[in-house]
Amino acid sequence: MLLSRNNLNRFLAFWRHFSGANAIHLVLVIFGILLVWTLISHALENPDRYLPSPIAVALSSFDMVYEGLLPSYFGDTIGRLIVGSIFGLALGIPFGLILGINRTVADMFYPMMNFFQSISGIAIFPIVVVWFGNSDKTIFIVILYTSFFPIAFTVLSGVREIPMKYIHAVRTLGGSRFQIIRDVLLPGSLPHIATGSRLSIGFAWRAVIAGEMLAGREGLGWMIFTAQDVDRTSEVILGMLLIGLSWIILDHYLLRPFEADTIERWGLVQR
Amino acid sequence: MPAKLVIQDLTHHYPDEYTGESVHALEKINLKVEEGELVTVVGPSGCGKSTLLNILAGLLPYREGLVTVDGVKIEGPGSDRGVVFQEHAILPWRSVSKNIGHGLELRGAPVEERKQKVAAFIKLVGLEGFEDKYPHELSGGMKQRCAVARTLCADPVVMLMDEPFAAVDAQTRITLQEELNRIAIATKKTIIFITHAVDEAAFLGDRCFVFSARPGRLKAIVDINIAREKRIWSEMNVDKEFLSSRDEILRLVREEVNVAIEE
Repeated sequence: MLLSRNNLNRFLAFWRHFSGANAIHLVLVIFGILLVWTLISHALENPDRYLPSPIAVALSSFDMVYEGLLPSYFGDTIGRLIVGSIFGLALGIPFGLILGINRTVADMFYPMMNFFQSISGIAIFPIVVVWFGNSDKTIFIVILYTSFFPIAFTVLSGVREIPMKYIHAVRTLGGSRFQIIRDVLLPGSLPHIATGSRLSIGFAWRAVIAGEMLAGREGLGWMIFTAQDVDRTSEVILGMLLIGLSWIILDHYLLRPFEADTIERWGLVQR
Repeated sequence: MPAKLVIQDLTHHYPDEYTGESVHALEKINLKVEEGELVTVVGPSGCGKSTLLNILAGLLPYREGLVTVDGVKIEGPGSDRGVVFQEHAILPWRSVSKNIGHGLELRGAPVEERKQKVAAFIKLVGLEGFEDKYPHELSGGMKQRCAVARTLCADPVVMLMDEPFAAVDAQTRITLQEELNRIAIATKKTIIFITHAVDEAAFLGDRCFVFSARPGRLKAIVDINIAREKRIWSEMNVDKEFLSSRDEILRLVREEVNVAIEE
């Protein structure tokens, strides 16, 4: 998927973008931040502890790549994200659909969903640790829990937003209830499924980092948490940078294209 | 031969969406539509035209009176009554040909038959070359052509049309009216066409049912004795029969509009 033609075009467009004014602005901003960062770093008495310079951070990343730690942490974290959010989406999408289709079921479950939605993934962490200990299972459950609600709510409202005229049209063509679900409600809510998935994976990404810190499992989150204990501030900053950059790449090349393709192909947005 | 569609003593009330008060939409409607006839229903806004159409479509349950198609009471939607809605209700996630063949697909018609019929109706409504386009790539007029083809392709006994050309521009509208006339000749379908435009009602109808202001009653029936083959706008604009029918309908509708305003 990452190597599809669409993505290649997107990648080229991205680079062409770099020759434009926007790119110049972006480069200026990044350069400015690095400059201020470097200046502050040099002004400090003990920069290694409080704010290592960009170069120090870059050097520590070479070290960690060389030792093989960084790729392994990175792989662990991405792996957890994928497994956890796949389960979250696999449960959340059908659940949202059922609630959107059947008002009785929706009235039954909605208050509870709203209740649990307010309890963040971090807030359920302690009880999950009590049940499953500091294990990968604990992290998966927290990711699943975190990604479940955004997708379920988005799909639910997606089904409800499908204009009645489409349902009426298919009913008058002789469509059964099942055929209406298959031909109208499912495809009609696909753009919301795409948007909701992107939202859910975004939440899951935060949950996996927090989960690793609390459960003490190796990964990017764990890396920045433990680096702090041993005063390796450069690794803390490196970890933060990687978390942000990975999300931008994941979002730009995988999630946003998926969302845009679904929505644009059917012309469901006015542009 | 008995009439295709018969409405007997149809009275309808519904609760207002906001106030909850009972709205008296239709009062003792009695009318018959013969096989192969194209009738138009015209009346001031709020005269219950759309309520009537929804009842005929089976989308709105009714309690008082009786509505039958081929002698069978209408109870819920069915593929014997096809509807072309005011806003093109073709599905945005289906291509033109997939939309047109949808009715056949729903009843499990063989692929070969579907292909043939879809091709025939695409030709009939002049959408050749647009088979694989999606609705958002079509103009307003083309969307409505697609909607008409979709309804016809499911081969209903009666085609119900709810102000189908109200949302397109004036130029497109007269073209669509002439095309519908051509389709009526070609398919000999029984068509009930609801509109608020008097010109349109006179141009398309073999007969025109004029409804009164709320509660909707059948106020008058105007016969328009013009051969379908003669009905093109350039001729109708100077046709005595057409102009007198149109003026008659206009006079009847305006009486009702004035009543509605005075209330």
